Amino acid sequence: MVSSKLNVKVGSVELKSPLILASGTCNFGHELSEYYDLSILGGLSSKGLTIKPRAGNPGVRVAETDCGMLNSVGLQNPGVDYFIANDLDYMDSLGTGRIINVAGHSFEDYIAMVSKLDPYSDKIDALEINLSCPNVKAGCMSIGSDSSQVKEIVSILRSMTKLPLWIKLTPNVTDIKSVALAAQEGGADAVVLINTLLGMKIDIRTRRPVLHNNTGGYSGPAVKPVAIRMVSECNSVLDIPIVGCGGIMSAEDVIEFMIAGSSAVEIGTGNLVHPTLPVKITEDLEKYCEDNQLELSSLTGTLQLW
Amino acid sequence: MNYRKEYEARVARKVMLNADTAYLTLECPDIAANARPGQFVNISCSYFLKRPFGIASVDRAAGTFSVGIKIVGKGTADLAGIAEGAVLNVLGPLGNGFDLDGFDSYILVSGGTGVFPINFAYEELAASSKTVTVVQGFRDSSQIVMNRPEYVLTTDAGDAGIHGNCCNGLDSLEDIADNTAVLCVGPLPMMKAVGSWAQSRGLKCFVSMEQRMACGIGICLVCVCKVKSEQEGVPFDHVRCCKDGPVFPYEEVVW
Repeated sequence: MVSSKLNVKVGSVELKSPLILASGTCNFGHELSEYYDLSILGGLSSKGLTIKPRAGNPGVRVAETDCGMLNSVGLQNPGVDYFIANDLDYMDSLGTGRIINVAGHSFEDYIAMVSKLDPYSDKIDALEINLSCPNVKAGCMSIGSDSSQVKEIVSILRSMTKLPLWIKLTPNVTDIKSVALAAQEGGADAVVLINTLLGMKIDIRTRRPVLHNNTGGYSGPAVKPVAIRMVSECNSVLDIPIVGCGGIMSAEDVIEFMIAGSSAVEIGTGNLVHPTLPVKITEDLEKYCEDNQLELSSLTGTLQLW
Repeated sequence: MNYRKEYEARVARKVMLNADTAYLTLECPDIAANARPGQFVNISCSYFLKRPFGIASVDRAAGTFSVGIKIVGKGTADLAGIAEGAVLNVLGPLGNGFDLDGFDSYILVSGGTGVFPINFAYEELAASSKTVTVVQGFRDSSQIVMNRPEYVLTTDAGDAGIHGNCCNGLDSLEDIADNTAVLCVGPLPMMKAVGSWAQSRGLKCFVSMEQRMACGIGICLVCVCKVKSEQEGVPFDHVRCCKDGPVFPYEEVVW
């Protein structure tokens, strides 16, 4: 049982804690359920799903960096039909927020995905529209880095479903505010900031990139200051809530994201290093709320800039 | 519900087996009690990700397990340099491990750091009623670790044991019983060759696949290898070395 002091809201979605497991770092919950009761979490965001199953990228998919890692998994997933038939009920049974991450290569893909998922709205708390995966050749990040395309796809999806639409944005843009505003104008219920930063690591002996995909998504504690800055910038212009994400490894990191403007947060790469990290963070957040006699949600957007 | 845990395990003993290989014995009764040969542990170092190591031995009475650490980069150098008494964050046992029950007789083949998980399999089999033979391959005599007098030793350089590779060692075996399985851990080309050797003699072979890993528990999908797909028209499936493996039947792997 989680302290009610951790309860938060992301728009209309009520979560018992601000902690959500980030897409791509928890699969559909089966594996981490061996380590702790996932019902302590605010939510779990499914592995990014596509219309058809994807085998993902070949060759080396991970490269460690200072304070983080690069990945180029390439959206390996069983496809949305398989997910609905085999994993949706399991996610529904976990007793935590059910966030379904939707990826695609084209507008048509996203439209088809939402058509498939909308009938299951009683088992879904929000659709996280992934406009930010850097590891596929088309769609995702290329749509998510163009404000006009973001506004257009979000408004199309908005007209198709009453499910809350959380738009997961890429940091690989010049002005995150304009992309976030485009999502808001399209009718998004929230934005999720940030997906991974595009990066590269070179093996100096072979003079080739370590990753077979050449580039990958950079994540982990190293990216947290970028994410905090983007959350803060977007919070200054948006009316819709923000879910913060990027390098969270501690309760202090969660608090920092909330002060910057996040209503909830996602823990990603931290799960890969310490699968029970969210348990420790939950305990530490409960203690913080007790010690400071506050509701965690009261922190959101309390940053005072110089 | 009995949840799996991350452990804080004390280094009870550290021995350097050669200039770039350490052997650590860690205190963790749960891992010692539950580990099966072919499984691995993920150990934190001072860099970001944990490092995977095949379990080399367990002492269930003492509540300890051992791993061999070959220095290949900064993380392994860091772990190989650790002092006795230090405490390491450990996840495990992980992965599926070998089937040591389904066959009457086993041939164990190791190359490189494969000597460590093969040592654990040998200890378990030698304590059972099964027949077990071990073939070890090394580059040269300076690399020999975890050797026992009863093993068939091969070196590429020919300065110890049979001159040649593991397959030359396997060729020296006589009277291979029916219902024998070959378990192989080593570099990919070696496992491919050993699997092919086994197949040509009608023997079932299991290999332990290795890939750069992050989580070790099946959530990140970075450590995949290709196996033949059961679905028609699909050339292969990407499966997770850490969770679906690391042990796979040789014939299921797409080499």
